[in-house]
Amino acid sequence: MLVIQNLYKQFGSLVAVNGFNLSVRTGETVVLMGPSGCGKSTTIRTINRLVEPDCGSIMLNGSNILTMEPDELREVRKRIGFVFQHFNLIGRLSTLENVMLGLVMSGMKRETAESKATESLTKVGLENHLHHKPDQLSGGQQQRVGIARALAYEPELMLWDEPTASLDPILVREVLVVMEDLARYRASTMIVVTHELPFALRVADRIVLMDQGNIVEEGKPSQVFINPVSDIGRKYKELIEYQMNTSAQSLSGKA
Amino acid sequence: MKCFLTKTRKTIIRTFFSSSFNRDIVILMTVSIAIGSSLANVVAMSANTYFSSTISTLVGDYGEFDLLVNVREEMKEDGRVQIEKVIEQVFPGAKLKEGPTLNGLTSFLVGLPGQNKTKQTYETIESIFGSVPGLSGISIMTEPRVTVKAVPDGAKSTVIEQIMHIDGVLFAFRDGASVTVIIQSLEKSSYVNAEIEKLLGQYHIIDIAFPVGSEPENPMRLGEQIADAIRDEKAAGYAESVSVDSKSNDMVYMVSTMLELKRFLMAYATKVNITPAAGVTFRTGDIITFQGTGSNAPVPGGSLDAANVLVKVTKAEGDRSAEGMVIQGDGTQVANNQAYAVMNTVIGDPVGTAIFQNPRKQLGDALNQTANFVREIPKIAQDAQKMTGVANNALNSYSGSITAVEQTLGSLASAGTTIQTATSGLANLDTSAIQLQLTNSSRAMSGLVSTLQIIRLVNPDVSSSINELTATQQNLTNLQDTLGAIDNVAANARQARSAIDNIVVNGNSMVANLRTFDVNGARQTLTETGSSIAQLQQFNTPLVAAQLQYLGAAVPNLKDEEMNRSINLMDQFITGQALPSQRIQILTKSSITTEFAGPIINRVVGHNNLSLYTSVVGIIEPDPRAQVMMILTQVKAILAGMISLIVVILFLTLDHTAIMTVIRRKRTVNKTPKEKRWKRLLLGIKNTFTAPECLYGMGVGALILTAMFILSGGGIPYLPWIGVPFLGAVIGLLVANNSEKISPISVDEVTAGEALGLSFDEVMREIVIPNGRPGLLQTLNRRKMKFK
Repeated sequence: MLVIQNLYKQFGSLVAVNGFNLSVRTGETVVLMGPSGCGKSTTIRTINRLVEPDCGSIMLNGSNILTMEPDELREVRKRIGFVFQHFNLIGRLSTLENVMLGLVMSGMKRETAESKATESLTKVGLENHLHHKPDQLSGGQQQRVGIARALAYEPELMLWDEPTASLDPILVREVLVVMEDLARYRASTMIVVTHELPFALRVADRIVLMDQGNIVEEGKPSQVFINPVSDIGRKYKELIEYQMNTSAQSLSGKA
Repeated sequence: MKCFLTKTRKTIIRTFFSSSFNRDIVILMTVSIAIGSSLANVVAMSANTYFSSTISTLVGDYGEFDLLVNVREEMKEDGRVQIEKVIEQVFPGAKLKEGPTLNGLTSFLVGLPGQNKTKQTYETIESIFGSVPGLSGISIMTEPRVTVKAVPDGAKSTVIEQIMHIDGVLFAFRDGASVTVIIQSLEKSSYVNAEIEKLLGQYHIIDIAFPVGSEPENPMRLGEQIADAIRDEKAAGYAESVSVDSKSNDMVYMVSTMLELKRFLMAYATKVNITPAAGVTFRTGDIITFQGTGSNAPVPGGSLDAANVLVKVTKAEGDRSAEGMVIQGDGTQVANNQAYAVMNTVIGDPVGTAIFQNPRKQLGDALNQTANFVREIPKIAQDAQKMTGVANNALNSYSGSITAVEQTLGSLASAGTTIQTATSGLANLDTSAIQLQLTNSSRAMSGLVSTLQIIRLVNPDVSSSINELTATQQNLTNLQDTLGAIDNVAANARQARSAIDNIVVNGNSMVANLRTFDVNGARQTLTETGSSIAQLQQFNTPLVAAQLQYLGAAVPNLKDEEMNRSINLMDQFITGQALPSQRIQILTKSSITTEFAGPIINRVVGHNNLSLYTSVVGIIEPDPRAQVMMILTQVKAILAGMISLIVVILFLTLDHTAIMTVIRRKRTVNKTPKEKRWKRLLLGIKNTFTAPECLYGMGVGALILTAMFILSGGGIPYLPWIGVPFLGAVIGLLVANNSEKISPISVDEVTAGEALGLSFDEVMREIVIPNGRPGLLQTLNRRKMKFK
């Protein structure tokens, strides 16, 4: 479905993405992981050209996104749902209006848009907060609005840019539940940038580890985290083991 | 070409106006221009209307008033009363209004009735209102009018005569140093103005000036000769001498007065007579110093002190002495008369001594003494009256004494013949009474002589009487001695007889002399003197004494230094004045140049030691009301310009900064500099002026400011029209470079909008503008928003 080839992006003297290549099949959930600043968010933002890459190609169902005209690109963006780390809700609009925005702007009738938005919000459990403003919602609720907004289009591809990074652990769970639901039960094609190891272990079809703009390791979670070949992979493995041991000790009451 | 233009037009419309947001920007700018220029217009016109009506309130509407009478503020009430009286008597029906008070002068506006607006009225207006107390001047305000200033006095009549021939002129008259022309109506004003300009352009004045020493004896006559000579030249045509008699020239009076003042001050200043020390010779201009108010005397080699008295040598005599004038300090402050040389503010050796004669002090002393003397006159007169009475009494007893002496001599003569027989009778002869009489008479005469000596001070005519009385007194003394001898004659009868005979002879001779004394004359003199003294007593001596004191106080109290400076200033003034009698003016056609007239003039004058130059016959003075209105128009333009500037800054700041921020973000979010530092710097500088948001700001700023200026009639002093779009562009550039600070946008929201597939227009309408600064853009945007 999505084929990224030789993607390259440089900010000043910093090479954020250095020859990134990735193929994602329809229905596949790919999780991008890596240390901070390794180019994960830049990579995911170039997919729908929120960041313009310097070179490369991004083929979505055979069409190169990077060479599209603005009108065409806008249409493509409607087929790609994007969930942001900081929610990126429109502050002056209500929850319902935030979700309706894209639909109405794409020409949908207001009533239809409202109906779809309501449905989308219901899916994320916010049916009781339709007319609240974003600043009246918790972080988790806001992120769920962001998810509902992205889902309202029924996109072919969902892009998640560290959707839980701004949330506390309890709220993280709210979002992860939705994400897992989408991944497991709706067979959506997703590319997720996250540091949530448990989520990645449970949901990802493929893990892509990045470092300094390059893919250092790629493969199934069991492969990457159990038998890593890269340093990053090894560190993640150690981290997983540490977390597991810590959790076990905490549960057994031993410090 | 037509095809190209059509193609270009379609391209522009397609690219620019295809976007509905671009159309919105056009609408925004149009509305901004409309609102801004309307606001600027309203403010400017309101101010203009206010000021215009204020001026009309102060000086009346056009043509409402004819005269502006200025009266000193402190006398304005008296002035007003008198003006009202004059109006009532001379201009019944005239309007009077008190105008503003400025600089201590109150103005009164007078509107004359139509029948009084005559040439004669205007020419005599000064004398008509001459009785107004505190009058400071009268200005003509009648409209429409034209004032031609700088018309030479001698040319005024000719100019007036020529102007009167212009159609539309009611009349023209002399108005002080100018010529004022009253026009029939406002419609003819432009025509008359133009005709007068034309007329003035046809003539000019050739001024002939003579340097000091070459002045003509009779400039008036010479001027006429020159004019005749020029006229005689075929090409010249018209020439007239318009020189004025300088006797009536105020400057001559001023110069004469200054000369007299200078003479007075020089006579009044301290005179310094300097005696040089041995081997010292003074020259005119030398400076010497004396100890003044300082405690120490000047020391050779020391510096001059402000307390020293400085004297400048004004005249060096042949005997090496000199005269000088005090140039620093005062002659009365000199502590000692030792003089020291001065070279470049350094005190030199002693050079002599000086005597300071201070006429001011002497005058003061003389006045004081005279005043004191005058105060004593009444007492002196009173004493003199008393002495006159005593003298009269003495004269009264004088005749009786002479008669008694005659009788005694007669008795002696008869006694002489019987001396031998009546020797014993001789012992009975009592001369004591006679001696007593003589003593009294002599004493009385002494007193009379003393009195007359005092009277002689005021009436010298009594001197002859005094001489006579003195001689008479001497005779009486002789007679007394003779009588004394009679007492001893008994012892020597024979001697007594001859003695008696001698006595009788001498006595008769003496009596004859005494008889020659004019008692009546003396009495007459005493009477006259008495009446003179009585007149003297009538003098108002307190008044005289008071006036003498007043005179003493009124004399200028200037120090020598001040007088010296005043004299120098007067010299400068007097030297700088060219007396008008040294200038001849010839009125002639403009085509007659100095090159043409020069040889003629030189020939008539007889030499070429003169200067020729031309001057205009007159200059049309701008109408004050029109000038004020013009200034108000400029003020209106400036106000409109200022308002436009402010509005442009507001609109740019409130409405366009959001757009500029978005444009900037689009430019910077994806394109980051990869250059080296110095290249990045260059790029930064380039971007400051050429970045898309800057170009947008400059374009919008230039466009709306220029449009507002045009529509509101705005203007900024000293800024040419090309500067307006430039100024707008500069403002736009400044705003663009600060747009992110002024109108920050929520990048997250914009990104979310882009991620949702919203177009640039939609992002602007739904996300950026609603979150931006409140302004016209936000207001206009509301109608396009889908989510209000």
